[in-house]
Amino acid sequence: MSHKKSNRKNKNLKNQWKAWLYLTPMIILLLVFTVWPIFNTIRISFLCRWDEDLGAVVGYDYAKAIQGVKYQFGFNNFINVFTTGDSFLIALGNTMLLTVLTVPISTMLALLIAVALNSIKWLKKFFQTVFFLPYVTNAIAIGMVFAAMFGMVWPTPAKPPTSVGIINTIIEAFGGHYINWVDRGSPYWANIAVLVIYIVWNALPFKILVLLGGLQNVDKQYYDAAKVDGASRWRVFWRVTVPLLSPMIACVVITGFIGGFKEYTSVVGIFGDGMGPTGANGSLNTMVGFIYNYIPHNQGKASAAALILFVIIFIVTMINMYVSKKKTHY
Amino acid sequence: MKDNRKTDGISRKERVKKILVKVVTYLFLSVFALAMIFPFYWMLISSVKTVDEYNLSTPTLWPHDFRWDTYLTAFTGDLDLGRLFLNTVLVGVVSTLLSLVVTVLSAYAFARLEFKGKNLLFGAMLATMMIPGELFTVTNYITVSSFHWIYDLKEGPTFWNASLPYLSLIVPFLVSVFYIYLLRQNFMQIPNELYLAAKVDGASDLKYLWKVMIPLASPTLITITILKMMGSWNSYMWPQLVANDDLHRLVTVGLRGASFNIAGTNLIDYPLQMAAVVLVTVPLLLVFIFFRKYIMRGVSRSGIKG
Amino acid sequence: MKNKIGAIMLAGSMLCTVAIGFTGCIGEGTINNSGSSTDDLANVTLATSGGFKMPEGGFDIEKPVTISFYHTMGKVLKEKLDYQLELFKELFPNITVVDAKYGNYDDVHTQIGQEITAGNQPNIAYCYGDHVADYNVSNSVLAINDFLPGGTYADEKITLANGDEYNLGLTVEEKNMFVENFYNEGHMFGDGKMMYMLPFAKSTEVMFYNKNFFNDNKLKVPTTWDELWETCERILEIDPDCIPFGYDSEANWFITMCEQYDSAYTYPTGTAANRFRFDNEKNRSFVGKLAENFQKGYFTTQEMNSGTYTSSLFTSLTEPKCYMCVGSTAGGQYQKPQLVNGQYAFEAGIAQIPQIDPDHPKAISQGPSVCIFKSDDPQEVLASWLLVKYLTTNIEFQADFSIDSGYMPPLKMEYMMTLDSYKNELEENANGTTGLAALSAKMCLEQKDAYFTSPAFVGSSRARTEVGALLQAVFSNTSIDSAFQTAVRNCIESIT
Repeated sequence: MSHKKSNRKNKNLKNQWKAWLYLTPMIILLLVFTVWPIFNTIRISFLCRWDEDLGAVVGYDYAKAIQGVKYQFGFNNFINVFTTGDSFLIALGNTMLLTVLTVPISTMLALLIAVALNSIKWLKKFFQTVFFLPYVTNAIAIGMVFAAMFGMVWPTPAKPPTSVGIINTIIEAFGGHYINWVDRGSPYWANIAVLVIYIVWNALPFKILVLLGGLQNVDKQYYDAAKVDGASRWRVFWRVTVPLLSPMIACVVITGFIGGFKEYTSVVGIFGDGMGPTGANGSLNTMVGFIYNYIPHNQGKASAAALILFVIIFIVTMINMYVSKKKTHY
Repeated sequence: MKDNRKTDGISRKERVKKILVKVVTYLFLSVFALAMIFPFYWMLISSVKTVDEYNLSTPTLWPHDFRWDTYLTAFTGDLDLGRLFLNTVLVGVVSTLLSLVVTVLSAYAFARLEFKGKNLLFGAMLATMMIPGELFTVTNYITVSSFHWIYDLKEGPTFWNASLPYLSLIVPFLVSVFYIYLLRQNFMQIPNELYLAAKVDGASDLKYLWKVMIPLASPTLITITILKMMGSWNSYMWPQLVANDDLHRLVTVGLRGASFNIAGTNLIDYPLQMAAVVLVTVPLLLVFIFFRKYIMRGVSRSGIKG
Repeated sequence: MKNKIGAIMLAGSMLCTVAIGFTGCIGEGTINNSGSSTDDLANVTLATSGGFKMPEGGFDIEKPVTISFYHTMGKVLKEKLDYQLELFKELFPNITVVDAKYGNYDDVHTQIGQEITAGNQPNIAYCYGDHVADYNVSNSVLAINDFLPGGTYADEKITLANGDEYNLGLTVEEKNMFVENFYNEGHMFGDGKMMYMLPFAKSTEVMFYNKNFFNDNKLKVPTTWDELWETCERILEIDPDCIPFGYDSEANWFITMCEQYDSAYTYPTGTAANRFRFDNEKNRSFVGKLAENFQKGYFTTQEMNSGTYTSSLFTSLTEPKCYMCVGSTAGGQYQKPQLVNGQYAFEAGIAQIPQIDPDHPKAISQGPSVCIFKSDDPQEVLASWLLVKYLTTNIEFQADFSIDSGYMPPLKMEYMMTLDSYKNELEENANGTTGLAALSAKMCLEQKDAYFTSPAFVGSSRARTEVGALLQAVFSNTSIDSAFQTAVRNCIESIT
């Protein structure tokens, strides 16, 4: 009895030793280039000082610190994030809204496209290639295209726009009235709509890639069984495809949420560094955009904002994990 | 034959439905495919427009006047494209290979092996994904500087001074928690029975990993390869910081830094810039089309039988 | 709200008065009349020392020393630089200059900002005042006062290899070569006593106008803003489909108006609220006037024109055209009229931008300066200074650079004109079609007393962005009240 037990224990230990061996390269790299910076971020987020000249508490700044300026421990950076202005709350709201809208839409669309791609034979290679193409585009080019598609040219309010853009031309062709999507005085909902389209467009190729990969790993016999049962396509999709793909779906949803909360480049792509339409700079700023603003001279405040962002993402991911664990069929 | 005739009555309705489904499927795919392809089209036509046409308030869908000198200028101008390509390919290939090794080993450990604190470690790793990486830049820059992995302009191209900066381009990004997560999910799709069977056969873990897991997960591995290559090709912020010298500059940094100014002005010749973007994109496109075959092959092989 | 801000600002200014002992910043106790601080800072007497310690034996012409230089010069300009570096090498064989090219001024700024954290910064760099203010958070930039006329080491001599004596410092004659206002930009920081940069290449804003249209309709080129609006009205009567006037940069417009009205914009020191002074009655009133005229269709700006330079309207052959347009001289080439059937569609004229007081014109000064970074090795610092002095006061280099880049030299007209090639370029090639760069350079050199720059401090670049956004917001129908409040609040938030 005791002999047997110790044997098993030994075997486990042996396995453990092996697992850690496999993990060593990753752990070393992670410690140096990820854990240490995170530790540093946390440290810095609690460092601040009273600036006599400015008459305010300011966060840690490397440039000052290397001069030997001393910083004190405190929570002021976290307070400053919320109290010195309203831009953090604006950024938080935008980020939440964009994430909540784009993740379900892009996942659903990617799933449909992946299933459709998987079901066809003719032109399959062609479509696959086309759907992966956006990987090789340059962000500058894409941003300019979207801006040109949705943008209007309206140099003076005294006269109607000289050009309403391709999208509006299509809307007008169907009898609609043009919409001011991204230009000066454009409504918030129109801005968000364009961003959602752009972000989904951007996110699709990767999601299709992952889901299609998973789909092609799905055992054909499940489908054969479903066919024998005479189940409808819709039923097969929900009862067979989705459950079998659930690990991959969970993967794209969770990483989608994480990516969504770190949204930044799409806003820059459409609206430029101003992070908003002309005349409303910053109205579409995101949390990462907020952090970027403070990286050059107030790493304390930037770090505090990053930690707040981290906590939010962490909670959302935990909820995601909990839900996916309940729904995922490994 | 006989069977077909017997079910003819039901099958006509079925067939109409089937064709309808096919039509809808193709229509659906075509619409989205068009949306996907448009930017490429835009990029190409923009690269041969004249500056004036490019700046027109109403964008033209087909250039009135073509100008091809942009491509010639892009190659012969400020941009040392050859050097940029060489650096990018070197960094891309080396970091992809090393990254695959690290990723496969870690994903395997997380998917198949049991060890104390596995879930805790995995959770902690996922958590690191949630902090915006931009914030690490300052700390990591100080780290690689202290390793002397930064090119010293004043020392010139001595062997070590010229080689070490490649490390700062490659090493900090070898681990991607995201890739590990992706591969682990894929590994977990592979039935445990195969592993147990291999164990019974007396295969070592590494052998099992190499012979069974890797072929089965090849679509995901290819995905990771593509992502990593694209990542190296498109990375900007970090390479700009640590390797912004003539010897080590990567494509995107070179592209951004190159002056596409109209002679004698500070205004940018966007068509010229587009032409350079096209030139930079083409190798990627080729690599991608080449890899697509492998995706197919990997996919066809990975059907789990039995 | 306004009262509250006023009170805070007043309190801030008092604090600043006490702290720095500088009384020029408050006029008659009310913040609204405090005026621009530009003139005050320009007239401050420079300190005689920037804290540089001369090594024993001065500059060693035997010991090899390598210095680095960050810039943004393209291929053509780099060739000119390399040529000058060879000549410099003949003068100082022991100095080796290595250089690195970056995409644009902001790239240089970002790069150095990061490098400072690890002590990897170069010896010399292209810079704007805002950048220097950033670098100086860590005290990284050398104050060059020691080497200026009257400075500690101004008259120090170096014996060259051939036995000649070479003056280390900037001589009075050399200092006088610089356009005074450009030179003074070098100390628009803090209390104005420390000099951190020398001007390298300059640009400003001028007004391009359609000479043919003006002649045909017997219009007078406006010299004041009131005249401009009247001209706009007339032009709209003549051509109802046009947008008479374009102004590219909203930020420049706001800052220039502050300067022309002598109303407050920013101040380099003090509390956050005290630094951003642009919310005042004078500024609100000119912004209101601009918004009114924008609604009337008198003008557009780059951002209002969907991000496209208004020169595209100026050179356009189809409506909407514009007949007057304010843009950077560095982009003069872009205002070149189009060719129609082998002939230029029109001839462009260049005039000073409209003014409040044409007798005391004001035009913004832009373009790169150079600064030197501190170093543990004083030989490096001295070598860097020698190169900076050599390049900035070199008429031949400045002429080459100007002709190839479209920028204008920071040196006075009379010195530049001593060089025949430059004189020819300006006198023979200046015209309203193919020679706009030369034409604008000529005009710019003539209005040398008009140039101003606003003081640089941490937050000054944000102020610039915010006032540009403020004008855009007002043009997009945001209320003046809320636009000003948002801009000030964003500025203050950005530095606390």
